[in-house]
Amino acid sequence: MRTDLICSVAGGLANVAAVLLVAPLGEGVLRKVTAILQSRKGPPLLQPYIDLLKLLGKEDIESGESPALQRFVAWLSLAAALTVACLVPMGFAAPMNGAGDVILLIYLLTLCGISTLLAGLAAGSTYSLLGIGREMMTMIALEPLFAIALLVGAVHVQSLRLDAVLNGSVYAVQGVPWSGLVLLVVMVLSFQAFVQRVPFDIPAAETELMDGPLMEYSGPKLALFKYAQMARLVVHSGLFVALFVPWGSGLGFPLGWLLFWAKVLALVLVVTVVAATHARYRIDQAIRYFAGLLAAAFGALALAGYGF
Amino acid sequence: MIAREKLDQLKAGLGAAIRRADLPSDRCLFVFVEPAALKKACQYVFRDLDARYVTGIGADDRPFSGSFLVAHNFAFDPDHLLCSILAEVPAAQPRVDSISEVVPAANWAEREWRDLVGIELNGHPYPKRLVLPDGWPDNVHPLRKEVPWNFSPGDTEDGREFKFDDPPEGCTVVPFGPFHPTLDEPAHFRLYVDGERVRGCEYRGFMAHRGIEKLAESVLTYNDIPVMAERICGICGCVHNVTYAQAVESAAALQAPPRAEYLRTIHLELERLHSHLLWVGLACHILGFDTLFMQCFRIREPVMWVAEKITGNRKTYGLCVIGGVRRDLANGLKAELQQVLDRLETEWRTVTGAVLQDRNIQQRTRGVGVADRKLVKEAGLVGPVARAAGVDIDCRRDHPYAAYDRMTFDVITAPDGDVWSRLVVRAREVFESIKIIRQCLEKMESGPIQLTIKDELPVGRLGLSSVEAPRGECHHFVITGEGNRPRRWRVRAPTYQNLQGVPMMIKDQQLADMTITLGSIDPCFSCTDRLETIDLKSGATRVWTPEELIQLGRSRKTS
Repeated sequence: MRTDLICSVAGGLANVAAVLLVAPLGEGVLRKVTAILQSRKGPPLLQPYIDLLKLLGKEDIESGESPALQRFVAWLSLAAALTVACLVPMGFAAPMNGAGDVILLIYLLTLCGISTLLAGLAAGSTYSLLGIGREMMTMIALEPLFAIALLVGAVHVQSLRLDAVLNGSVYAVQGVPWSGLVLLVVMVLSFQAFVQRVPFDIPAAETELMDGPLMEYSGPKLALFKYAQMARLVVHSGLFVALFVPWGSGLGFPLGWLLFWAKVLALVLVVTVVAATHARYRIDQAIRYFAGLLAAAFGALALAGYGF
Repeated sequence: MIAREKLDQLKAGLGAAIRRADLPSDRCLFVFVEPAALKKACQYVFRDLDARYVTGIGADDRPFSGSFLVAHNFAFDPDHLLCSILAEVPAAQPRVDSISEVVPAANWAEREWRDLVGIELNGHPYPKRLVLPDGWPDNVHPLRKEVPWNFSPGDTEDGREFKFDDPPEGCTVVPFGPFHPTLDEPAHFRLYVDGERVRGCEYRGFMAHRGIEKLAESVLTYNDIPVMAERICGICGCVHNVTYAQAVESAAALQAPPRAEYLRTIHLELERLHSHLLWVGLACHILGFDTLFMQCFRIREPVMWVAEKITGNRKTYGLCVIGGVRRDLANGLKAELQQVLDRLETEWRTVTGAVLQDRNIQQRTRGVGVADRKLVKEAGLVGPVARAAGVDIDCRRDHPYAAYDRMTFDVITAPDGDVWSRLVVRAREVFESIKIIRQCLEKMESGPIQLTIKDELPVGRLGLSSVEAPRGECHHFVITGEGNRPRRWRVRAPTYQNLQGVPMMIKDQQLADMTITLGSIDPCFSCTDRLETIDLKSGATRVWTPEELIQLGRSRKTS
């Protein structure tokens, strides 16, 4: 029992460390590939690490309506992303399996979005408030998607346990897994929004709202938000891989581990290419788009209820 | 004799209100009317004869004729005629009827002369300060002749603030600018926003007014001004340079030699090329499509390089003098220019292919920022904004100058008046520019590039010139004067008119469409800045307040 606990905590911490280490590299890959697509040379792969260090070393300027809340939210955003990392398998089985279930995971995912909302609210400037208005609309349409995907998995395997659900559970039915396939399509089409990249970086929209919710942040706090955003890219990719592309995860170390990170890298590349080849949508267009996906996702949930 | 025909029509319509008329050529017409009949005359020209409003000019003519002068310029585009309706306003009571109610496009021009020349307006619908800074004293008008060019009001009321209108009920105010990532230059829009919808806005600009016109009529000379004119704009400087030279030439009845005309055409089209490429890139950037933005700039770069080889500068070509141009195309550059054009054409086909078929871009630009034919007429919109609304105007064809009368090219139009149409128009105009430069290179004849001007330029003559800048018609009005410099030089850049249409274009649009709508007219403000200094020895940072900056500026003895 005791060794179990130690193993699980150590595994969770290992995941957190892995995400912290890899996340800026993912961003680096994204920037480099974007640059190549744009006929530019682009920054060195390790530039995001240096950027974070630089921001962390800057003066911590208190600008905005409620500085205490702003400080708290900066930590919250990174903490939420890292807590998700504890629960998601990162090349091994989900480490802190006993510590929570799928419901907790759904809440934590929502908390990531809420921290952005709070960030804008605490800053309180006009553009921040416009940004969180958009963020809120996006969240309402978007957050249920991942939740439904997890629930469909849970229905299929008749369990809320993380290790059971986060192992390709959406396909775990007899015959053709219709609900899983529908959800796969839905998630592929909405993934860009989960990681807040073009064409769905609407709340931040640099050329309209000048980074929206994050407009008032600089220095260490901005570093934390940026770090959280980079971590989200990795964590969400990991979650996506665990749920929808589980093949080969049963292989032993190091093959299964390598395969997992290769899949995450592939997903980051997809995100990059989509971001580099699209214009930003307007909020009303995006919401209409999400609404369609949401309807499809509910359809999938109904299918899952009937065992498809 | 179209000018004569129009004059006869005017005489029939206005009768005794016409004091005198001047027809220096068949391409321009100057009609002096009674000040009391100015509004009626302008209404007749604008509504009954369906002319396009170009701009209004106020001038202090007291040292010469004893009165102020106001002029409203109109264009009869299908008839290839520019027409100026002038009125002499008595010096004792500088006051004239506003025409903005019947010609809304005159709104800014009238307010500008009210600020700068001090000619008051009767019945202007929105008589707010336009050009002068908030703290400028009310009774000093910088363009009056008695005000020296380096005049600095001693007692500006620094605390005085511009009074904005109250926002409509239920709307929040979103300040847009003076500094914003998509504004390259300072301008301030106060947007009244209801949720995500823009219900209206108020504009406050002219934050970087540099007094160039005043300098021209008090310090510079005829051939200095082209160089100064070029610095009006950071992108389409050559346009101002050529327009000014042509306005003076038209006033003095000079005709630049043919080779100079071809050279002017080449430079103007080179400028249009790099300006349009820049704009399509920026539009993509505003929409968040950075890949196309970068590709546009990559494709644009060789144009800048070849411009640098031809003129010595990527921008700011220093091309014109009165009666010609300053330098010829050096040996070998013709072939190189042709190569650049060939490569540009191929690459631009790829880019337009990508842009014009992209559904994503269409979703963001179709039906956005619409300026219909009516708005084009009322606000006097020009250039790609007008052509995208199906209004077929292009000064290169309608008021041919330089060598354009010898060129064959299409005037590109699009029907819908939205941002998408403007994108299509600009993207396709690039090919027309390439076509024009190729024709110039082919047809250009050898010969002198400058006139030898032996005599002083005649005094008191009026000259005007319209040039199709990348953003639309650029119009200059010149009154020649003594001392080798003009008495009055008025510049109207295309953005001056197009910006006046923006509040109507963004009304009831999504806030997200504001930036691309404003971007779609390719606004061209000008630059000024707040200043921060760092003491390198102590590392102390000091931010200067506006008051301190003013003090600093006034205490400087050298410039």
